Amino acid sequence: MSPDWLPKPIEGVIDRLVDASAGERLLVSVAALVTAILLGGVVTLVAGVFAACESPAVGVFCYNPLAVYRYLFLAPLSDPFILQETLKNSALLLLTGLAVAVSFRAGLFNIGTQGQLVLGALAAALVAVRVGPAAPAGPVGGVLIAVTAMLAGSIVGGLYAAIPGALKAYADANEVITTIMLNFIASDVAFFLVSAYFQKPGSGSVETRDVPAAARFGPEIALVLAVALVLATTYLLWGTAFGYDLRTAGIQPEAADYAGVDAKRMIVTSMTLSGAIGGLGGAVWVLMSVGRWVNGVPALGFDGITVSVLASNNPLGVLFAGPLFGSMQAGSLSIDFQLGVPRQLVGVIRGLVILLVAMPEFFRTLGVRWNMGEGQ
Amino acid sequence: MRSLVRFALFAVAALGLGVLLVVGRLFPGTAVGEFAAVLDASYAASALRLSVPIAFAALGGIFAERSGVINIGLEGLLIVSAFTGVAVAHWLTGDGPVAVGAGVILLLLLALLLVIAGAALGLLGDDRSEIAVRGGGGLLATAVLAGLTVVLAGPTLAATWLAFYAAVLVSTGFALLFAVVTIEYRADQVIAGLAVWLIALGAAPFASNVIWGAVNSPGVDTLGTWTTPVLSELPVVGSVLFDAEPIVYFLLLATPLSWYTLAHTSFGYWVRASGENPKALDTAGVDVRRVRYAAVLLSGVFSGIGGAGLSLGRVGSFVGSGSTMIDGRGWIGITAMLFGNYNPFGAFGASLLFASLDALQFRLQQLDYAVPDSLMQTVPYVTVILVLALVGRTRTPDAAGEHYEADED
Repeated sequence: MSPDWLPKPIEGVIDRLVDASAGERLLVSVAALVTAILLGGVVTLVAGVFAACESPAVGVFCYNPLAVYRYLFLAPLSDPFILQETLKNSALLLLTGLAVAVSFRAGLFNIGTQGQLVLGALAAALVAVRVGPAAPAGPVGGVLIAVTAMLAGSIVGGLYAAIPGALKAYADANEVITTIMLNFIASDVAFFLVSAYFQKPGSGSVETRDVPAAARFGPEIALVLAVALVLATTYLLWGTAFGYDLRTAGIQPEAADYAGVDAKRMIVTSMTLSGAIGGLGGAVWVLMSVGRWVNGVPALGFDGITVSVLASNNPLGVLFAGPLFGSMQAGSLSIDFQLGVPRQLVGVIRGLVILLVAMPEFFRTLGVRWNMGEGQ
Repeated sequence: MRSLVRFALFAVAALGLGVLLVVGRLFPGTAVGEFAAVLDASYAASALRLSVPIAFAALGGIFAERSGVINIGLEGLLIVSAFTGVAVAHWLTGDGPVAVGAGVILLLLLALLLVIAGAALGLLGDDRSEIAVRGGGGLLATAVLAGLTVVLAGPTLAATWLAFYAAVLVSTGFALLFAVVTIEYRADQVIAGLAVWLIALGAAPFASNVIWGAVNSPGVDTLGTWTTPVLSELPVVGSVLFDAEPIVYFLLLATPLSWYTLAHTSFGYWVRASGENPKALDTAGVDVRRVRYAAVLLSGVFSGIGGAGLSLGRVGSFVGSGSTMIDGRGWIGITAMLFGNYNPFGAFGASLLFASLDALQFRLQQLDYAVPDSLMQTVPYVTVILVLALVGRTRTPDAAGEHYEADED
């Protein structure tokens, strides 16, 4: 489909983009997103009937969906604080979305990105605090601390994801349930570790000491890092033999085994890889967003599921879905502050997006009815 | 092999508890004695109570999955019903006396819904005269239910019961949504189930915030307890089995009923056939889609009872912070279903096992042992993982997760 002179991996990527089925999936994603937003508007309108307010937007409706969406999508343009939050969220959601996509691509439902992120974040914070004093002063030391912390985060996240991977591969334990259980365990264990051993002196909440200021970075660097990782992962998955094995092992274990690939080991590997990216997300959250580990880590892992599903588990699609949800997430702060609409609304939309993307048949039926597409 | 492991696990757990109890009673001064003293009748009662949401989710999961629809959205259904129960109870009772007008409106709504549901069932059938019959049946059912509730519970408690019914209905509504998405539009069952969970996880705190301005609700009346005179005076058994919450009795009733339905009725046979060999069922002239709809709706009804049973049964409020008050009980219910090998009795036993661990960690927290609360809280989750690792994937119904298309369409 693409010219011969292109290097093979790039050719593969282009083929994928123009692929008919990929195009159809893109259409489904866009349709699902639009429908979810419309439904979210209805939810907002109906919820407004039950809310108490001084001056209703229209009649008995306290909330105005149009205003909600204006703030949700346009607040980054008008409010520098929200813009900053959008950039931060986008970087984080690129990472968690990628983490989920890697596992889903391999046919594994890693719902445990949240837990991997929580423990990865803790490891990164602890390592940064520990390494801090030993590192040379200045930017060199900062980079050194940051890199070590991110490595620690990925390793811990990867190892934590290897547990459900191994349980899936060798004991046939359903990874959806084990990863969700490990989410609960991760937050309890992290809470225990920090409150018992690593508590910031004099602090009222459960949190670690601050990481050295030199190791912290802004969202621009995090975004560059995340985009680079997305591109590298795309290459890994579609440009290398390893990536091919990874994709087949989870989806067609028999075929993989026949081709001489140890499918079980590949399952563990893909979960570890997914967890390592999730753990890195945790490290970035610590170094970029909060500067320490604090109890009550935001649900970035769950948002990653939405990002990945919306991107049909395609890392390149994550590049669009991540920032989209990143801005909605940041905008949810502004609807709360400005309009008094609870920010959990974005959580509802998140679920609706997943539900609608899961039913391409619905949109296909609609398309046929409206004489769109081929209409088989 | 798997069933052997499962049996061995049950036996070891039961034996271990028994030995602990005996040794503890013999040596009351020791650490074991102190530990055993915790395991008294009120411990057994709280374990039974804690098993309610888990076991109801598991029972619902059994019907859905045996009919061929993997419903991993149970956690979401529990969240939705736990919230709805409290919200409606709050609306009905407010701060003061029972709002009779609101109660009547709700009752009429319930009746209307049941009539519509009945008529819809009639519409699905071949015989059009069924529409009126079933619609009337829905009306009659509501009247009987309302009458019984007021007579049995009295006017004050009736409001809480009405809220309970509403919660079950809303949970069933969510299950219907899931059924349409997976059966009609052939969505991936795992992803759609995940979506149901995430929608509930966002919607319940959202609605809670809209109504009360906080993710946690204020307190409402609970359903109270049903005490059998005389029998409740019996030692140990009396306080556990004859002085319990209504939902506990429902569970003790629902478990054998579910087992009987699955094993010995034609509906149960259809459900099993729909999960194992839908083609054969279709050939036999039974509509696979309708069987699956019924089974998924049942999972909504059961989860509704479990979720509202938790929030209205004992707690008397909705907690929407973090992973909400349901806190993974639906997921543990799915594990109980797997551990119990899709058998209602097995699932009930497994739920009781998980719940007794949960109750144990509450008890040990009160005893002020050296083990910190946050670590004790992980015990049920760790157990779930261990159980899954040892039991692994049970033999799922052959057609579970697959869509069925009748040929003639």
